[in-house]
Amino acid sequence: MSGVIDDYVAALRRELDFDPALARRLASEVEDHLRDAAEADPAWPSPDAERRAVERFGLGREIAAQFAADAVDRQARRTWITLAVTVVVTFVAMRLRVIWLDDDVLALAPLIDRYAFIAALTVGVIAWFAFRQSLAALAICLGGLIASIAAGIVRADLFVDDAPIHVLLSAAGEIALIGVLSFHVIALGRRLKRTAGLRRPELQETGQ
Amino acid sequence: MLGMEAEMLKGHLDAIVLAALEAGPAHGYAIIETIKQRSVGTFDLPEGTVYPALHRLEQAGLLSSTWTTPPNGRRRRVYALTRAGSSALGERRKAWGRFSQAVDTALGGGRT
Repeated sequence: MSGVIDDYVAALRRELDFDPALARRLASEVEDHLRDAAEADPAWPSPDAERRAVERFGLGREIAAQFAADAVDRQARRTWITLAVTVVVTFVAMRLRVIWLDDDVLALAPLIDRYAFIAALTVGVIAWFAFRQSLAALAICLGGLIASIAAGIVRADLFVDDAPIHVLLSAAGEIALIGVLSFHVIALGRRLKRTAGLRRPELQETGQ
Repeated sequence: MLGMEAEMLKGHLDAIVLAALEAGPAHGYAIIETIKQRSVGTFDLPEGTVYPALHRLEQAGLLSSTWTTPPNGRRRRVYALTRAGSSALGERRKAWGRFSQAVDTALGGGRT
């Protein structure tokens, strides 16, 4: 038969499902804590002693929400660092295309390549100062970079068999980075949603 | 709802946890007991609040932790201040000293 402490630890572990490694570690640590606290209670051993230890510890959902908020901060930092690296690499690749390729400056692809990048950079700089955890700002940045990279691929005629190898390699680097950036943006979105759900249980219950 | 002291404490919890570990390594339960004793019951946060702070400080490199099993005892995760943590504690003490002095002065300015 499970006790009050066992039930509490199992519930806390479920609340921390956004980070399985943390959930495992904390479950063990919290169980130790609660058993120490219950054993220090004059009524030990009894369910009342366990219940008082759990009450003093606080609501599992609130503790999980604090961990989730910290996880959002860390994920936001990772996402912004990846974004900064992607911007630099995209810019360098764009400049290299100007050197390597002799295409018509009035053609559409070079214009998209240039202006989508400038738009992504502008939104990124504004978002950095205004709202660092804004998914909308990051999504616009990501969209601008994807447009810039796609235009670069078209511009370099990568689908033509005789595309130079260095152009192919720089485009591959850009695509790989944009993939990593997309992964981080999606992860940040999930963590923001989970944190909001922990802070407002009704959101989770209605699946919003 | 948390009281005024608890809300004020939340902004300083990291520094208080660092200070509680200054005397030597300790596990979560012992850290909370130390904080309660030092504050003579003024800081009455839910005990679980300290764990996100411990995790955050460890991620920042200000604490280290290891699992230990004392003879005839329960396996516990024990936290210790790192060198960076000791420096951070010193800096936070100085910052708090300046801040509390400024608040004291500001509040004292209203006296007649």
